[in-house]
Order: sequence, then C-alpha cells, then structure tokens
Amino acid sequence: MGFPYDEAAWSVVDGAMFMGWGTAMPGVYTFIAAVICAYVLWAGNRSEHKRFTKTKK
Amino acid sequence: MEDKIAELMAKVAELEASAGVTNTMFAETYYYLTIPLMIIIHAGFLAYEMGSSRAKNVLSSGVKNILAFAFMIPTFYFFGWWVYWGFPTGLTLSEGPMGISGSEYANAIAWGWGESAQYMGPNIADNASGVFFGAFALFAATTASIMSGAVIERIQTVGFVILAVVLGSFAWVVAAAWGWHADGWLVTKFGVHDFGAAGLVHAVAGFFALGVLINLGPRIGKFNADGSSNHIAGHNMPLTVTGLMLIIVGFWGFLMACVIVPGEAWSWYGDKMSTIYGTPITLSALSFNILMAVAGGVIGAWIWTKDPFWMMSGALAGIISTASGLDIYFPALAFIIAFSAGVILQPCANWLERRGIDDAVGAVTVHGTIGLYGVVMLGVFAAGYPALDIADAPTVTLFGQIVGAVVFFLLGFVPGYVVSFILKKMNMLRVPEHAEIAGMDTIKVPAQGYPEGIVASPAAAE
Repeated sequence: MGFPYDEAAWSVVDGAMFMGWGTAMPGVYTFIAAVICAYVLWAGNRSEHKRFTKTKK
Repeated sequence: MEDKIAELMAKVAELEASAGVTNTMFAETYYYLTIPLMIIIHAGFLAYEMGSSRAKNVLSSGVKNILAFAFMIPTFYFFGWWVYWGFPTGLTLSEGPMGISGSEYANAIAWGWGESAQYMGPNIADNASGVFFGAFALFAATTASIMSGAVIERIQTVGFVILAVVLGSFAWVVAAAWGWHADGWLVTKFGVHDFGAAGLVHAVAGFFALGVLINLGPRIGKFNADGSSNHIAGHNMPLTVTGLMLIIVGFWGFLMACVIVPGEAWSWYGDKMSTIYGTPITLSALSFNILMAVAGGVIGAWIWTKDPFWMMSGALAGIISTASGLDIYFPALAFIIAFSAGVILQPCANWLERRGIDDAVGAVTVHGTIGLYGVVMLGVFAAGYPALDIADAPTVTLFGQIVGAVVFFLLGFVPGYVVSFILKKMNMLRVPEHAEIAGMDTIKVPAQGYPEGIVASPAAAE
C-alpha cells in the first residue's frame, strides 16, 4: 500500500497517483465495494420483508 | 529578418500577457464561486437546525445560527486571518521554511490597518487576497456552525456567539495553521495530511461541541432519573433532511476551495492544481471520491438505521471520513471507508448518549468521531506519500496521523470546555428553566414560526 512509486517524491509522478496503483488492490477494492452493494440490497430486502410479515393483519 | 524576430517577440509577449490576464481572472473567479457554494452549507445548517428543533424553538434556533454566521465574518477579518498566517510554526510565531508564516509575515498581509491594509481591501493590483480571505472566512463559519446544531434549544444567544467566535476565528484556525499550511509544524515534522480538513475542521468542531455540551447539560426531558434517554424529535424531519442535502451541495464548494489553482505568482505549479500542501491534485480526483464517499456513507447508514436523518448524516460522514485523502484515495477504497463510517455512525452516537451527552443532531459523532476516524484511516492507507513537494519531504505515516488526530482533538475539546465553563460561571451559557419549558421563541423572538399552526389545506374541489 502507500505511495505507488519507488521514490517518495512527487517529481517522479507522471500519471495515476492513487493508493494501490500498479498493484491488484484497486481491483480488490472495486470487488469489495460491489459485494457491499449487493449484500446491502439483499439484507435490506430481507429486513423490509420481515417488517411486512410482522405488520400483516 | 531582425524586424520579423522583433515583431514575433512582441506578439509572444502580448500573448503571454493575455494568457496571464486570463489565468488571473480564472483564479479569482474560481475562489469567488466557492464562496456562494459554501453559503449553501449555511442554508443547509439553518434548515437542519430549525427542522431538528421543536416548534417552540424553531426561530430561536434560526436566530442563533444566522447570528453566528454574521459574527464569524468580521472576527475572522479582525484576527482569524492573522492567526492562520502567524501560527504555523507553533506558539513561537516564527517564520517557517517556506517563508510564508510567522508574526512578521502575518503583520504584513493580514491586519486591517497600516501598510498591510492594502491586502485587506479593494486593490486593483491584488486579485487574490479578498477571494482567499472569503473562502477561509466561510471555512471558519462552517466550523462554527457544526457546533451550533449540537447545542440547540437551551443555549443563550450571546454565550453561543462567543463560543462560535472562539471556535471559528481561533481554535480551528490554529489547527489549520499547524496542519493545513506548508509551514505547519504538524506537516513539516510529522507529515500530517488532511486535504479536506477532516481533522482540523470537523474533528476540532465536533470535540469543541463535546466540551460545550458537558457544561451545558442536556435538554429538560432528555434523560430520565434512571439514566435512560428519551428521543426528542424535531418538528420537521423533511426540513432537516433537505438541510443535510444542502450541506452536501455546499461541500463541493468547500472542497473546491481547498485546491490551489496553477499559474499565478502564489501558485505551487505553473501547469497543475495542487493541495494546500503543494502536492498535486485534480478536480477529477475530487469528483470520483466525493461521489463514492457520499454513496458509501448513505448505504452504510441505511443498513442499520433505515432513517433518512441518519442516512443523510451518513452522507456527511462518508465525505468526512475520506476528506483527509480525497486527493489520493482510489474511489472504491473511498467507498469502503465511507461505508464503514456510515455503519459505525449511529452506534457511536448512542454510545455518547448513554454517557449523558445530549447532542441534538449528532454533531460530535458525525464531525468529531468520524473526523478523527478519517485522519487515522489515511495513516493506515497512505503511509509513504510525500507530505510536501520538496526534496526530502516528510512522508505520511500512521504515527503522524495519530499525532495530528490527538492535536486536533485537544484543539477542539480544551477551548470548548474551558470557555463554556467560564460562560457557565458568568451565567451566560444556559437559558433559565422557565424559558426552556415555555419555548425560546415565545420568550425572545418577536415573530412566530407558524402563526396559523401547521394546517392541512381543504380537499380539492371535485
């Protein structure tokens, strides 16, 4: 992690400068973020339906 | 041939001068436009504080909020701007390595009298000082307004304004001088990086509010004799939530104003934008990361709370948790950090409430706790980044970010506690019990929020 260039100086930066650039981490982060979105939708839907069931007359 | 060369040289000089004028106009306009964008933050604070108040206090909450904004501007003009330029190297007020700090420098540019007054008023040769001052004055007003929401419905007006001035025109400005300035000792010695002011604005304001709340005490009826708490609902949740969304809109101006544009004598670069530390940044970086952070915060808060107030607070928490590194986070990482901030938001607020703190809008948690969380998270992920664009620059470290977090906490909490304690002793902090029970609008505002009540209109004719 950390600075994505060998030398810790801004003078060597000529393009991407975000954390993890040049490693697999951006892909890992993107995957985790997508899983979070999918999980939250699943959990949210389950929670909402529990409420529907609980309040059914 | 020589005539041709001379003619070409003249044309080049003319083009350069023209490009320079365009650049100067762009730079001035850029910062000028951040000011109304940041005023939208105040429209948001106004709406969400009034919405979070009970109907009997709605206007007095508005009065307090508007007055704090009004007092921030002149006090920041009188001394806040000087503090920012005078204090970076610490309490010695000496000049830092970049030569843009210390009492001598501040005396030359930031007093509204004598020779330095030329930089504190209309000046045809100075297109920068006024718009920089304006942007910083709005940072100051934003900081003071963060504390404002926490203390609604029981604080005295003048006591509150004094606290707002101490926070907005002094406490956070010292934090900014130390941690948000190329000569700041937290930057030059510890490599602290807090691009979007998660610590030096949000954490300072949040923990200042905590110091005040300890002395101010809870609203009548908030806690029962056994220590359990009651929810005191504001009178207008839609107004509150809309206000929070307006704050998000204004944040774009706030963060835009944290960027130094290129090509001017005071710029860090001729060809690219930089942070206030002189490290490179693009507005595209902000665009990616702010949007992902807002989304992450909302989603994280929704999963536990399902409550629009906490969801929009989650949006704020999302931005604040990533603000320190909006220039260098990868967007998906910003989303993950913001999501985690949204998830921990309400549990942190509940934890504080169980300790007898009545923070009416969750400001201590959203701004204080999450602000420090963001400062430390940057140390986890950004270790090794150069903190300045100079040879042998200090680098960002987890230790340095923790030092920064501790300093920001103390710069908020200590003055908040001490000044509110003094105000309490002077009977200038809390309104009398009868006034609180009657409602402060009735006691001190010569107007009514809802003179006809909140009535439903008759059904439409068939």
